[in-house]
Amino acid sequence: MKPHWRQWVEEIRQQFPQGNSALLPLLHRIQAEEGWLSPETLADVATLLNLPVTTVESVASFYSLFYKRPVGERVVHVCVGLSCALKGADALMHRLEEHLGIRQGQTTPDGKYSLMEAECLAACDLAPVAQVNLRYMGPVPPEEYQRLLGEGEK
Amino acid sequence: MAELNTHYLLRHREVPDIDQIAVYEAHGGYQSLRRALRDFTPEAVLELVKASGLRGRGGAGFPTGMKWSFLPNDGRPRYLVVNSDEAEPGTFKDRELIEHNPHQLIEGMIISSYAIGSHDAYIYCRGEFLRGSEQLARAIREAYAHGYLGDNILDSGFSLHIHLYRGAGAYICGEESALLESLEGKRGQPRLKPPFPAVAGLYGMPTIVNNVETIANVPVLVEKGADWYRSMGTEKSPGIKIMSVSGHVRRPGNYEVPLATPLRTLIEEYAGGVWPGKLKAIIPGGSSVPLLTPDQIDTPLDYESMIAAGSMLGSGGCIVMNDETCMVWAAHRLVKFYRVESCGKCTPCREGTYWMTNILERLESGEGSQGDLEVLLDVADNIGGKCLCPLGDASLGFMVSAIRHFRDEFEAHVREHGCPLGAKRYDPINH
Amino acid sequence: MIRLTIDGQTVTVPEGTMIVDAAEKLGIEVPIYCYHQALGPLGACRMCLVQVEKMPKLVTGCTTPVAEGMVVHTKGPAVEKGRRGILEFLLINHPLDCPVCDKGGECHLQDYTFRYGPPAGRFAEAKLERLKDAPVSELILIDQERCVLCQRCVRFLGEYVGEPQLMLKGRGVETVVAPVDDRPVDSRFSGNIIDLCPVGALTSAAYRFKARPWNQERHPSVCPHCPVGCPVTVTAREEHVVRVEGRPIPEHDWGWLCDRGRFGYDFAVAPSRLLSARVAGRVVPEVAAVRHLANLVRTVREQHGAAAIGVVVGGQHSAEDAFYLRHFAESVLGEGVRLAVSQTVKGYLPLALNGTYDDIGVADAVVLLGSDPYRAAPVLYLKLRERWRRDPQLVRWGVGVRPLSRPTLPLRELRVGPQEMAATVAWGLFSQRPDDEGLRLLTESLEGWQPRDPEGARALAATLLDSQHLVLLWDGKEPWMEAVLGVLTRLRGEKGTRVLPTFGPPNLRGFEWAGIPARWGALEDLLQATVRGEVRLLWVLGADLLREIPDYALAAQALERVEHAVFEGLFPPEGSERFELWLPGAGWSEEPGTWANLEGRLRSVAEAVPPPGEARPVKSLLTALARALRQPWTPPEWNPYLGAEGGLLPREGEPTAPARLPRPEPTAGDLYVWGEPEVFVGGYPSENLRPRRPSLLGEIHPVDAAAWGIGEDGGELGIERFGRRWTVTVRPSAAAAPGMLILPLGAAEAPVNQIGEGPASVIPRVEVERR
Ligand SMILES: Cc1cc2nc3c(=O)[nH]c(=O)nc-3n(C[C@H](O)[C@H](O)[C@H](O)COP(=O)(O)O)c2cc1C
Ligand code: SF4
Ligand code: FES
Repeated sequence: MKPHWRQWVEEIRQQFPQGNSALLPLLHRIQAEEGWLSPETLADVATLLNLPVTTVESVASFYSLFYKRPVGERVVHVCVGLSCALKGADALMHRLEEHLGIRQGQTTPDGKYSLMEAECLAACDLAPVAQVNLRYMGPVPPEEYQRLLGEGEK
Repeated sequence: MAELNTHYLLRHREVPDIDQIAVYEAHGGYQSLRRALRDFTPEAVLELVKASGLRGRGGAGFPTGMKWSFLPNDGRPRYLVVNSDEAEPGTFKDRELIEHNPHQLIEGMIISSYAIGSHDAYIYCRGEFLRGSEQLARAIREAYAHGYLGDNILDSGFSLHIHLYRGAGAYICGEESALLESLEGKRGQPRLKPPFPAVAGLYGMPTIVNNVETIANVPVLVEKGADWYRSMGTEKSPGIKIMSVSGHVRRPGNYEVPLATPLRTLIEEYAGGVWPGKLKAIIPGGSSVPLLTPDQIDTPLDYESMIAAGSMLGSGGCIVMNDETCMVWAAHRLVKFYRVESCGKCTPCREGTYWMTNILERLESGEGSQGDLEVLLDVADNIGGKCLCPLGDASLGFMVSAIRHFRDEFEAHVREHGCPLGAKRYDPINH
Repeated sequence: MIRLTIDGQTVTVPEGTMIVDAAEKLGIEVPIYCYHQALGPLGACRMCLVQVEKMPKLVTGCTTPVAEGMVVHTKGPAVEKGRRGILEFLLINHPLDCPVCDKGGECHLQDYTFRYGPPAGRFAEAKLERLKDAPVSELILIDQERCVLCQRCVRFLGEYVGEPQLMLKGRGVETVVAPVDDRPVDSRFSGNIIDLCPVGALTSAAYRFKARPWNQERHPSVCPHCPVGCPVTVTAREEHVVRVEGRPIPEHDWGWLCDRGRFGYDFAVAPSRLLSARVAGRVVPEVAAVRHLANLVRTVREQHGAAAIGVVVGGQHSAEDAFYLRHFAESVLGEGVRLAVSQTVKGYLPLALNGTYDDIGVADAVVLLGSDPYRAAPVLYLKLRERWRRDPQLVRWGVGVRPLSRPTLPLRELRVGPQEMAATVAWGLFSQRPDDEGLRLLTESLEGWQPRDPEGARALAATLLDSQHLVLLWDGKEPWMEAVLGVLTRLRGEKGTRVLPTFGPPNLRGFEWAGIPARWGALEDLLQATVRGEVRLLWVLGADLLREIPDYALAAQALERVEHAVFEGLFPPEGSERFELWLPGAGWSEEPGTWANLEGRLRSVAEAVPPPGEARPVKSLLTALARALRQPWTPPEWNPYLGAEGGLLPREGEPTAPARLPRPEPTAGDLYVWGEPEVFVGGYPSENLRPRRPSLLGEIHPVDAAAWGIGEDGGELGIERFGRRWTVTVRPSAAAAPGMLILPLGAAEAPVNQIGEGPASVIPRVEVERR
């Protein structure tokens, strides 16, 4: 448990003093720092908020954006919603899988990339669209998949 | 039907940087709020919203003023919760609003809270909307700094605090009671109704849940009045609506149209027409609604006409599919969405969407057998009307209508052990 | 009241009743999984679909409250198709291997499928794979593939008990019920989830594959492990008890059990069980033992008269056994035989003041007088918690030498010193009613004395006097409390005042009903007479005097002094070498009988299995003994239910008249030794429950622990009392007040009654180590 987490709890509780409302904001904030939510982290969160561990784990397990396994530096969410699929999202995903040598849901062994399916990202005007660490990129035609990997950047 | 030549909701299209408070103010921003606080009693605002006939833009189209009037008068605190969880496939209007014109939502929230007597309002923002939530957070800060939020707003004696809450990836949290559970820090699983949120909502208190677009309409109503609003659309569907158009059209995007604009106008004029190929099917109101066929393209975009046509206006997410689109594939895609997003609380939705996905997967890959279609329809019948929340039913809308209109295509998949569109079909894997 | 029609029949039920419950009243079955009245509606499984006229869709009968004039159909094509559909959904990811499932034959999924289900599986795909037969604790296994996600287990533990040890994990079709990794489900109420589980997803590890429903017998019975006396069903197979389940009694009892009651039945086969008779330590045939006993009786009686025989009966026996004993004593042994019940505390509560569990349902105030029901009477604790959850306004007090409040049942606390409870309560009452003669008398000796928390004492007194329906739980430690309770009851007049005694051997009221004196005084007299040499033959049945009675020294002296000590029971008692004759007894479930619980309610315990080895029931022992004495004796016919209306013993007996309370003495010493009943420590041995027995028995306040060099993980502590030294294991615990050492009653390793309650000094650590 990191000491400044307590500080965060204080801050969040000011906004959301009731119920367990502080839970999701705290998980978001800690995940942003830690990259993912390990069982130990979840137990810490339970202690910090004085909640049962079951509650914290159960809640964390419900939401797809809470990562229960370590993820890569770049988390690529490819939208596979119908509108994107109509514009080649499957091919985009396929190219990425081939290039990275992993399947969707996995992380490259070097820890650089995680590839995930996203349900409709509410950006169908940009289809096929993807998010890299939750930042939109689109349209990304399948053949331009490398843009999502930031290769050539820097 | 008059075409809109100005935007009322998507004003950023005309005014760049309207997400900055100074720009927003320079273009009349927060004037409606000043006016409401100065010239209107809360009851008068409520009357205005009722008179305008504004209906909820989140999907169900429930009259907003009527919903507000359901709040019991028992002295308990009340909350306004804005639903910005937009995740209905094909819908992307709320995202544009919060990313580009967040102050209009905030202004609407303040006026609405004033009307219903709420002093704490919440925005439940979809977890994936990172930029949207950053924009909202900034706009809220600006609004506080300018005295539009906080205690004693503009010396009116009215106080309001807005709390921004991020979801974390779960479509079901768009359903209002699941949203409230999530906002209370729990798993986003729908609650039993009754009690409805207006009676026992957030933290057990009377709560109004409204869609982003719904609330973004409120400043416009105060500025222009109910009569103006009613001058557009129909008696039962007055006003303006943002339609999100995507799929096989030349210019996918959000379009602000008067209600009752023909679907054809939206697709052919606003969105530049079907491209590539020819029109095969349209989902007019988000993935939960039944499809319309090309011969229905002249249906007006209003709540009642859409129902009469066998579909729904829903959230206004219009997905256009061309003649290269395999309906089995599309049904599989959509049903799988509901499988992934089912919360798992009730049996028919949890197991049924799983089962239907399996069958559709089999059909699509050419491994379907005689009888699969009957089973599929029967499974749909066993889901329909038997779930705890509307998600289960939502999973059926497209699939059942696709089977109804394109039965031969489903049967051909069994007969020919694969997709009859063959090479013509857009094959994403070997693209 | 609401009138509605279900399947053409009319029924009238209270407003708020759900359709399924209204249907049940008519004997109409609406299948359910997720719904349970105690847990409230959830509406998750959708099994209970019914048709209501004027409603467009089928509705769930468990979430739809009745309405005046409603017309409900629980049959018909739409309903039947709906049900079939739901069952089919539940089966798609469920293994179809009922024959090897432990729930086979008593599974709702199997039953409903048989009754309403789809003809054949149309689901052609692979089922999802999940955890199978994984332990969630030493006692319970989970099979996630069989789970129907009704959430009963999760909600029971989380909401009802307040110990959320199971959770829903994941989302959608991936959802499973699971514990948090590496944290066993060790709630003391965990076993109820086995009963609650409508399918074979949660099963008992101990019962696993022990029996199949069709080759077993099930008997209605009562749990023997604590004074609550929960109704149970006992399953026997091949002469062994293999399972104990809760037995719901409509409108009175949900059928919850604590794990002690559910899993503790294996005492019957404990290795230490006495299976043959012994004389002077040597195994002898039973007949020889009976002859020996007859000789003892004859000799003592001839030399000293029947009054030289003392008989003590304890908690392992039925009311009938006690009745036979009394009858036998009077008609065979002769005039003057002394009889007593073995006691765990010195307090006594006259039945006239005794309440029932139903009182909790209508109480507006509950006051715990020293009782910690969570430890001493677990299911009673659940009843209190349920009451509080239904009515958060319920006034709740915990009066004790230590905190009795817990997060799952918060109480307003009033701390008293040892032996100061009656004084504190009386003082508080007197402060409110200074004119009352009885109170004046009680508090005369308290002149100039003040309770630790005078304000609190006054506030408590206000609750005690003003509440409309008051329920008190009493630990029975200070016998003079009886008089205070008597005065309180009188002061409250018409208002309900009901006491639930959480002490005593489980069947105390049954023995009393059978005519055996049930006050501590009777036992004390008998033992004192023994010490004085007046009693020459002491016959103890089903009691363990040296371990359970509050005056160890008296028992020890009596056993030291007495010429002949004879023991009958299931296990050799503490100090067994003092008994020249051991007779193996039949116990619970090995003979039919009647037991009374702390409400004074009679319930029958069935004979489920035969007694093992040479153990035999009291009745047969007495018959044999009479024969050996050559005195005719036929066991009398006695129906304990006669005179007990509805099984409830008549509320009679006056509380002792007010007399001056003993003035509380200040206590010195390092730590005050305090004995606490704890169902998972005292009582019968159990292999099943060994993991639940705390490894460190004693508890001290964390500050004291630090002061005496006990770390967070606990350790050994040396104490001295009356010049004798003891080493006990202790753990720091918030349950202990500062300056207090809590020891569970009935533990051989920490014999609190031997050490004696009272101040002790701590032997500094170095010295302990040198020893
Ligand atoms: C499965 C499901 C998902 C929903 N998602 C959304 C959503 O993303 N945004 C939204 O505003 N309403 C959504 N709704 C509708 C809400 O439950 C609710 O009706 C709406 O927020 C009310 O706002 P309105 O009256 O302004 O339309 C959803 C409903 C269901 C059943
Ligand atoms: S509370 Fe007592 S009587 Fe009930 S199950 Fe537990 S031990 Fe048995
Ligand atoms: S019993 Fe009614 S929904 Fe489960």
